[in-house]
Amino acid sequence: MKRLASGRYEIALHELRPGPGPVLLALHALGGGAHDWTGLAAHWLGRVYALDFAGHGGSDWARGGSYTPELHAADADTALAELGEAPLAELGEACLVGAGLGAYVALLLAGARPARVAAALLLPGRGLDGGGPAPRPFDPGEELNADVWRMLAAREITPRPAFDPMLRGCENDPRPPDYARPFADAARRLLFAEDGGARPPWWEAARGAQRAERAPADAAAALAVLSSAAR
Amino acid sequence: MEISYPGAVAPEKSRFVRSLGLRLHVVEWGDERATPVLLTHGFYDHARSFDTLAPRLAERFRVLALDSRGHGDSDWPDAYSWLADVLDVVNVLRDIGRPTHIVGHSRGGGLATDAALLFPEGVLRLVNIDGFGPPPTGWEAEGMRRYEGTVPELLAAFFDWRRTNVERRSFRPSPSLDELAARRRQQNPRLSLEWLRYFAFYGAREIEGGFVWKVDPYAARGFGPWRPEWIAPAWRRLRMPMLALWGDQPDAWGLPDPWRSERLAHVPALERAVVAGAGHFLHIEKPAETARLVVDFLGRT
Repeated sequence: MKRLASGRYEIALHELRPGPGPVLLALHALGGGAHDWTGLAAHWLGRVYALDFAGHGGSDWARGGSYTPELHAADADTALAELGEAPLAELGEACLVGAGLGAYVALLLAGARPARVAAALLLPGRGLDGGGPAPRPFDPGEELNADVWRMLAAREITPRPAFDPMLRGCENDPRPPDYARPFADAARRLLFAEDGGARPPWWEAARGAQRAERAPADAAAALAVLSSAAR
Repeated sequence: MEISYPGAVAPEKSRFVRSLGLRLHVVEWGDERATPVLLTHGFYDHARSFDTLAPRLAERFRVLALDSRGHGDSDWPDAYSWLADVLDVVNVLRDIGRPTHIVGHSRGGGLATDAALLFPEGVLRLVNIDGFGPPPTGWEAEGMRRYEGTVPELLAAFFDWRRTNVERRSFRPSPSLDELAARRRQQNPRLSLEWLRYFAFYGAREIEGGFVWKVDPYAARGFGPWRPEWIAPAWRRLRMPMLALWGDQPDAWGLPDPWRSERLAHVPALERAVVAGAGHFLHIEKPAETARLVVDFLGRT
């Protein structure tokens, strides 16, 4: 595990599978961690790295608790830049795999950095799973108010929880689906793992992009499709 | 060194409130036993920007003003998000410990409105002074408006900016407070140099090479892409009356119609009032008139 300075804190980058070959950067779901990818890493033909998002695992909690998908994407961008400078790097570009919140972050990063991201595989998972045309976080019914109190209370207790409860601000998508679409349009290649299950509105909007493809629901099989994009 | 400005009264008390691990600076005027009013300032302002409005409200209320995170004498966070700023206001309301009126200007008006949504039991009445968000053509927080490009390009620009600027402790210093005030006047031409000197006296600090604003440079670029019109539809759930105030003079920092009317249409119990002869900073340009409207509205509980 290597800790990288990103913004005003440090994030943990884990090497899950060493060796030559194309680089895969794995981005976990809300409340998860780099270890979530240990099993899947064996199915990639090159090197696999996984990030602990800020507020999770071996990464720092952001002082003041301001988490956004854009901030996580900035941290993942830091990790990509670091990989590009590694002596073993054969590629100036990488592939991404993300689940839930990590899938949304992968979409943002693939759209913002098309020169660095050859392709991204999006898997379902926790985080950014709400939202829609009526934005959620500031459309609070009783339920969300209760969430806010739980979040504040959980941040004030010791010992501190496994992940920063302020991350629950990333549970729902505060942006309408048309926010996701330009990222999908700008990305070079996007694979959406489809199992027939319900997906959040941003997912539905993004998979309408021209370079979006369906991928097998089985993550290992989907990763095999992604690896063809890496060669 | 001392400074004065006609009608400006320094707060009587100052303390810190903890919120999400940060120390937030809160100042206070007036009788502790009176009904509390919390003032929330705009982007790149600070609590002392209320030094002419607050004493007028303090004749009737206990008045508190918050320095937002990254502004004034409050701590700087590692990053910025709208939600965290809103929760800071909620945490200050919790610290006050009894139902409170909120009066917010500009970005502080937006924060006050969302805090009232999240913590309705803590808020009596709400005054939003020209805090209805930037026009929809701007994708970003106010400081990002000048950046052109697609949204993905703007996000990439944010990544690059963060990498090179996050350690910056200040922008370019001005050799004197007077020059800092004069530079500010280029952005806020409606405000007098005399006021801006007063404002800079409390809003700036001295470093090697001159004076800089206390505000965190990262606060200008920390929000990431955001569109305020996404949140205005939620205002339909406001449970308390809102007074919307603005000035009748054109001002680049205010939100003109039709957007203002479109967003305010969501507020169920809305009153509107316009201050003549004032722009976006009506509480500074016309403090007596603004105070009269606010006191009249808050007094009707």
